[in-house]
Amino acid sequence: MMNLTLYKREWKANWVMLVIFMGVLTMYATMIVSMFDPEMGDSLKVMAESMPEVFAAFGMADVGQTLLEFVTGYLYGILLTAFPAVYIIILANRLVAKYVDNGSMVYLLSGPQKRAQIVRTQAVFMVTSLVVMLVYVMGVIWMTSELLFPKELEMEGFLRVNAGLFGLWILLGGVCFLCSCIWNESKTAIGISSAVVVYSLLVQMISQVGDKFENLKYATPMTLFSVDGLIANESEAWIMCAVMYGAGVLCFVVGVSVFKKKNLPI
Amino acid sequence: MKTIEINHITKDYGGRRGVFDLSFQVNQGEVLGFLGPNGAGKTTTIRQLMGYIKPDSGSVSILGKDCFAHAAEIQSSLGYLPGEIAFMDSMNGMEFIRFVAKMKRMKDLGRAPELMEQFELDASGKLKKMSKGMKQKIGIVCAFMQDPDILILDEPTSGLDPLMQNRFVDLILSEKKRGKTILMSSHIFEEIEKTCDRAAIIRAGELVAVDSMEKLCSGKRKELQITFAEEQMAAAYVQAFDKAECAAANKRTVVMKVGKELDAAIKQAGNYTVTDMDIHTQSLEDFFLHFYGGDE
Ligand SMILES: Nc1ncnc2c1ncn2[C@@H]1O[C@H](COP(=O)(O)OP(=O)(O)OP(=O)(O)O)[C@@H](O)[C@H]1O
Ligand SMILES: [Mg+2]
Repeated sequence: MMNLTLYKREWKANWVMLVIFMGVLTMYATMIVSMFDPEMGDSLKVMAESMPEVFAAFGMADVGQTLLEFVTGYLYGILLTAFPAVYIIILANRLVAKYVDNGSMVYLLSGPQKRAQIVRTQAVFMVTSLVVMLVYVMGVIWMTSELLFPKELEMEGFLRVNAGLFGLWILLGGVCFLCSCIWNESKTAIGISSAVVVYSLLVQMISQVGDKFENLKYATPMTLFSVDGLIANESEAWIMCAVMYGAGVLCFVVGVSVFKKKNLPI
Repeated sequence: MKTIEINHITKDYGGRRGVFDLSFQVNQGEVLGFLGPNGAGKTTTIRQLMGYIKPDSGSVSILGKDCFAHAAEIQSSLGYLPGEIAFMDSMNGMEFIRFVAKMKRMKDLGRAPELMEQFELDASGKLKKMSKGMKQKIGIVCAFMQDPDILILDEPTSGLDPLMQNRFVDLILSEKKRGKTILMSSHIFEEIEKTCDRAAIIRAGELVAVDSMEKLCSGKRKELQITFAEEQMAAAYVQAFDKAECAAANKRTVVMKVGKELDAAIKQAGNYTVTDMDIHTQSLEDFFLHFYGGDE
C-alpha cells in the first residue's frame, strides 16, 4: 500500500516547514480569538465599518455576535484557506515534481516498490500532514477560547466548520498534487498550481465585495466551503462539503494513475 | 533467453533526436559496452531499460520481463547508476546510502562499507556540498551495494579522477569474474576496451555496430606523428611508407593514421633519426567515421 521508509523520510524533510506554517497560524488564531469581546461590541467591527470593502473581500463583512461566528468569520474566510494553500503548493511540489525534476526519483524507484506505491505514499503524507495542521489549529483556537472565554465556543458548530475546512484543504491538496504528478518540471508544476489557487482566492474575494460581482462565486471552488451554512447545519452546505472531499480524493487518485503511466525523464 | 533484450525500439523526440529501430542483446555473464557520441541516444535507451520511459514501438525486456510493466520486480536484481546523478540535497552521504538501502529492502548496508573503502569515499558530508566525483562515488556505492546480478551503468566514470577510474575498471573486472551481467555506456574507448567482451556503438539514435571487442579494435586507428632530424629523412619516409604524409606546419614531421601497420611504421622510422614522436588515440567520433565509412 505505502512505503514506510519514504514516509518517514518525508516527515524528516518537511516537519520544519509544517512547524513554520503552524506557528504563523497560531499567531493569527490567538490574536483573532483574543480580540473577541462579548460585552462591548468588538473593535474589529469598528475597523470593519471604516473600510467595508476590504473586510468584505476577506469575507469578514457580517461577522455575527457569538464567539463561533466571530472566530469563523475572521479566521475561516481567508487566513485558514490562503496560508495552508501556500503550504499545500510548496509541499505538493516537493513530494513529486521536484524528485522528477532533479532526477532523484531514480532512488525512490530503486527498490521493489511499484511507482503507484511510491506516489501513494506521498499522497498519504500530504493528507496526514494536513490532518496534523488541522488538529493543531483547532486545538489552538479551542484552547485560547476556553482560556479567555470559558464555555463560549459552541463545540458542535466548530467541528462542523472544521470538517468543511478540511474538505477545502483536501480539494486544494488534490489539485496541487495532481499538477505535481502531471508536470516533470518543478517550475511548471508550481506555476500552474499557484495560478489555480490564486485565481480561486481572487475570484472569491471579488465575488464578496458587492452585489455586482456576486455571481462570480459560481466560478470559484472556494464557494463550496460555506462557513455559515455549516454553522447552521444546512444540508446544502453538507452536499458542497461532500463535493470538495469527493473532488479532492478524485484528484489524488488521478494523480497516482497519471504518474504510474507517464514517461519519466530521470 | 538473453538477460537484457532490446527489440526494435523507437523513441522519437522529433528532429532526428531519440533512438530509432534499435536492437541488441546482453547475454548472461557478459559485459557490454555502449558507445556513442553526445546525444547519440545512450541515456534514452537506458531509461527504457529502467522502465522510466516507454518506447513508441518495439520492446525491451530484462530476464524476460517487460521493462515498463514489471519495472518494480526487475529492480530487485538490478543496480543502476544514472548518467545525470542527483540526490536529496538535504541529506548527508551516509544518511542517503542508508535510505537507499532501506528503499531496496536490504537488511544492512550490504557491500557499501567495502565499496566506500575501495573508492576512498568519506560520505559524512552534506550531499549538496559534495564534489562531482564524490557524488559519482556515492552513485557507484548505491548501484553496487545490493550485489545485484545485473548492472546498468550510464557513464560510470564521469567525474572520477584517473586513479579512481582505474579502481572502477578493477571493480568491473572483478564483478565480471563473479558472473555479473553488465551494460555500461561510455565515451571512453579505452575504458570499454579494458572491461568489455562486446560493445554496441550507436550514432544519431541508430545502431552502427555490435561486435566483439577484438573485431572492433581491429578497426581502431592511432594517429602517429613523427619528427625527424632532417627534412630529407621525412621525405624519404613518406616515399617508403605510403600511409604517411608530410605535416603542413613542419617539413621534418610526418603524420599518419595507422592500425595494424603500426609495427611497420615504427620499424621504418628506425632507419632515420627520430627527434620526437606523438601518438594520439582517435577520438570516438573519428573512430566511428573511419570504421563505418563516414556520414552517408
Ligand atoms: N525528454 C526529452 N525530450 C526531448 N528530447 C530529448 C529528451 N530526452 C532526450 N532527448 C534528446 O534525445 C537525444 C539523445 O539524448 P541522450 O540523452 O539519450 O544522449 P546520450 O547518448 O546519453 O548523450 P550523452 O553522451 O551526452 O549523455 C538528444 O538529442 C536529446 O536532446
Ligand atoms: Mg547520456
